[in-house]
Amino acid sequence: MSVVVIGAGLAGLTAATDLATAGVETTVLEARDRVGGRTHGIEVAPGAWADAGAAYLGDRHTELHKLLAGLGLSATPTAMWGGSRFALGSGEKTRAGRFPPLNAVALGELFDLLHGLTARVRPDAPWRTPDAAALDTVTAAEWAAGNLRHPDARLFFPLFLGEMMAADPASVSVLHMALYLRSGGGIRYLNAFAGGAQQDRVLGGAHQVAERLAAQLGTRIRLNRPVHAIHQQDGRVSVHTGTGEQHHGDAVVVAVPPVLAQAIDYRPGLPAPRATPATGRGCAVKVQIVYREPYWHAHGLSGWSVSATGPLLSTVDDSPPGGGAGVLTGFVTGAEAYRFAALDPAAREAEALHQVAELFPRLPAPVAVHVTDWVNEPYSRGCYAAVFGPGDWSRLGPHLSTPHGRVHWAGTETSTEFFGLMEGAIRSGHRVAAEILSSHETARRKR
Amino acid sequence: MNVHQATDLFRRVLENPRVSEQDDFFHLGGDSLLATRVLSAVAREHGVELTFEDFLLAPTPAALASTVTGAPR
Repeated sequence: MSVVVIGAGLAGLTAATDLATAGVETTVLEARDRVGGRTHGIEVAPGAWADAGAAYLGDRHTELHKLLAGLGLSATPTAMWGGSRFALGSGEKTRAGRFPPLNAVALGELFDLLHGLTARVRPDAPWRTPDAAALDTVTAAEWAAGNLRHPDARLFFPLFLGEMMAADPASVSVLHMALYLRSGGGIRYLNAFAGGAQQDRVLGGAHQVAERLAAQLGTRIRLNRPVHAIHQQDGRVSVHTGTGEQHHGDAVVVAVPPVLAQAIDYRPGLPAPRATPATGRGCAVKVQIVYREPYWHAHGLSGWSVSATGPLLSTVDDSPPGGGAGVLTGFVTGAEAYRFAALDPAAREAEALHQVAELFPRLPAPVAVHVTDWVNEPYSRGCYAAVFGPGDWSRLGPHLSTPHGRVHWAGTETSTEFFGLMEGAIRSGHRVAAEILSSHETARRKR
Repeated sequence: MNVHQATDLFRRVLENPRVSEQDDFFHLGGDSLLATRVLSAVAREHGVELTFEDFLLAPTPAALASTVTGAPR
């Protein structure tokens, strides 16, 4: 049997590894000149790396932990000690811990409502949630306008949603918000560093996972091969690339984000779309400001900050644990990400540095600034993941992992477990490989 | 608010039936996000608005109950 895998992110590489291990002739076609998809490393000092893409993991991310162990990689705890900085209207600017200077009862009411929504959604099949149709027609912004009374809750909600899922409340459906928060382990788990989804980072950078998987797969991986068309005929599949090549297989795995999967020409055509006009991009731009060392520690600060206005709606210490550099990572999320991404590089850097100077006034000049714009990245079209808009779960949900003949689907957006996270991508890769191996076994037995 | 009500509230928010009167919320996996859900329930059910700092000083069911009972309404 031979299989063509499209996309060398974590999902595609996991699937390819499982298939190759089972003796399947496997080819991986990747559009970029690198593997890793929405994981990407930046060398911030000689031998010291920071994650420009996906970065964090927690104990519940069991498949990622297994993969790290198998590849000789390890997790390292996220450092989070010292005070936080806030720019949230008239509230205090510096506080111990991460709790913002906002009305705690109002935030509790917000989290009660979000907890109620996440408890209601059916995690394995969100479109079958009682009331799914109603939850899927309303945007999170409309929901907030109707449900959040206190100004502090209204201020904090878009910041929280930006941090949790890089979504603009105006473009995400309430059903998707509920599914995303539930799928990631609930609002407490998804929000927490220690004991939560941000407990650890990959020592040396998350990009190494894809690089090591790719090294094992060797020449099976072909870079610079954007796929334009997938044609099925007479029990075979042919995959056409922008470089004019054709690759043939008994089956194909499409392991690219939904908006990109939708842009491929399928013959016969898809019975259900992979994305709709309502399917949005995860709105995240990651700004990494590199210093010689994490000077903020000497000022009693953790590097964590939250601001009501952009561009950097939050910052976090992202320094390599072995030393060598101090890295402050800023997140530009939600609607602000579109505005910021449209600026020219000099303006972006100036805005980011101006804000950092206000948040952390005693820092010396940085040695480098890296801006990673995932919103306009042609082969990701957003990050952390696709943002399902109104109607998407009803239309796309039932078909997300249903094969189209010999075309199978992977990617974090096809996993209702840990949707949008590295863990979801890896689980989808294992799932799709098992699906192909078992259908091939069945076909062989029938012969 | 009595100590039984406070214990029940901790159990509900922590989703842990084995909370006793002297248990520290933050030692049982509670964090600031969950703490706000305790405070919203206190406000809703007992008419007392506490701050996050109030809760840091009274993080057990016994201490929370006495803080709420002693607080002005």
